[in-house]
Amino acid sequence: MKLAVPLLAFAFAVPLAMAAEPDRAGDYQWNLPKGFPKPYVPADNPMTTAKVELGRHLFYDARMSVNGKESCATCHKQELAFTDGRAVGQGSTGELHSRSAMSLVNVAYSGALTWSDPELKSLEKQALTPMFGEHPVELGLREGDSFLPMLRADAKYRLLFERAFPTDSDRFTVLNVTKALASFERSIISARSPYDRYHYGGDDGAVSDSAKRGEILFFNQHLACFRCHGGFAFTDATVSERSAGRPVEFHNTGLYNLAGLLSYPEPNVGIFEYTKQPGDVGKFKAPTLRNIALTAPYMHDGSIPNLEGVLDHYAAGGRAHDNPNKDALVGGFVLSARDRQDLIAFLNSLTDDAVIHDPNFRNPWPGSP
Amino acid sequence: MGLVFAQAPAPQAAASAVLTVTGDVATPLMLTADDLMKMPRETASVPEQDGTKVEYEGVPLREVLKRAGAPLGGQLRGKALASYVLAKAHDGYQVVFALGEVDAAFANEQILVADKRDGKPLFGYQGPFRLVCPNDKAGARSVRMLETLELVRLQK
Repeated sequence: MKLAVPLLAFAFAVPLAMAAEPDRAGDYQWNLPKGFPKPYVPADNPMTTAKVELGRHLFYDARMSVNGKESCATCHKQELAFTDGRAVGQGSTGELHSRSAMSLVNVAYSGALTWSDPELKSLEKQALTPMFGEHPVELGLREGDSFLPMLRADAKYRLLFERAFPTDSDRFTVLNVTKALASFERSIISARSPYDRYHYGGDDGAVSDSAKRGEILFFNQHLACFRCHGGFAFTDATVSERSAGRPVEFHNTGLYNLAGLLSYPEPNVGIFEYTKQPGDVGKFKAPTLRNIALTAPYMHDGSIPNLEGVLDHYAAGGRAHDNPNKDALVGGFVLSARDRQDLIAFLNSLTDDAVIHDPNFRNPWPGSP
Repeated sequence: MGLVFAQAPAPQAAASAVLTVTGDVATPLMLTADDLMKMPRETASVPEQDGTKVEYEGVPLREVLKRAGAPLGGQLRGKALASYVLAKAHDGYQVVFALGEVDAAFANEQILVADKRDGKPLFGYQGPFRLVCPNDKAGARSVRMLETLELVRLQK
């Protein structure tokens, strides 16, 4: 077996209490466990505790939607590892998205954002899509609407923006909103699962024997799970401060093989949507497997309801295994009943209770849970 | 739709606790962790993704091969230079090293048969034995769950 990206860990606490004074640029303390590299952060949006805190308020603010009821957290719920439990997202007008809401956990390490846009690498830029996108409508905001005046008129936001952007003459801008949202998203780091305690922390009792066997299966070359879901983030789409710009691979796993020009149902045709190369039809990003037990249903379109179904899909070499673009790694394998239980136990061991209960990532608004 | 791919066999969980040295060697070996502890040992630091170093400890591959009677040192000449070591993992993964890569008179690469990482025995999907190739730019020859080293002499 080849060397998987090694990783040690561990125990850390994320200190995101609101700063009493304006933060200096880049003052943010990541407190990353050993083995977790420092995430890439764009030079024009250095991390500060104040921006993270402002971003948290914006992230959970239902006033940031056309119907006054939705927020980023509608599709990215903390208790579901910042997914929504739906097959596809639903916007504030009721319009359905074509794809499943992705987890925001460890999104700071994501080398490409969304399921299949190879060029979308900036969280600041990505935030514009749920805010202003019309195909589909998500939050349904429009520039010129009242959300910026709303922020300016709110005493709490005046303080939060002052702390986050102390030198800006006009702090209440769309750009600053996206910078703050991106900063909060980058702060959501998951590294405290039972698996972390076992594998990187040396706590032999942190996971079951079944999960230990499942880990070995996961890293077995015949199953090859680790080839796309390896490394500390359990995805091959990982970048960090030291590897910013690393190319991201996209994979066709044989979910569909429709007759005709496009073998995947539109509009979910993978990176073909951007590259227009026929060989790219059906290629999507391999998402992180951290907290995967919380993020059902699975695949880009939520078409597999549970982890058992995902194992069935890969064991069969893809449910539409004859798709010509299918990744050679999806070759199929045989699992005993115990192997299946062990793999599921291993995947469950990646659930990080700390991240889904961390008060630093919680809804800050009064009356929220 | 018929199945057009070859399904892999059902995998087995844990790797063997014995490292087998076999093939065209004078003295085939079956080494345990205790055996490795009694052999010449070295350490190798390998960088992590976060820039920190992890220290692997174990026996140089050349020492393991030497003990098995592989043609090294003065014997590594002529036809013996057309020899390679096939390293096999528990899951069937295989890589090769030419004898010249490990011999002191040739490339003298520090390739370790490691059994410890940061002072602790290797476990889970890494161990109990693995190769560590500190000078390889890619990690793909640092075979995890190493079970067998097989010497193949192409010319005799």
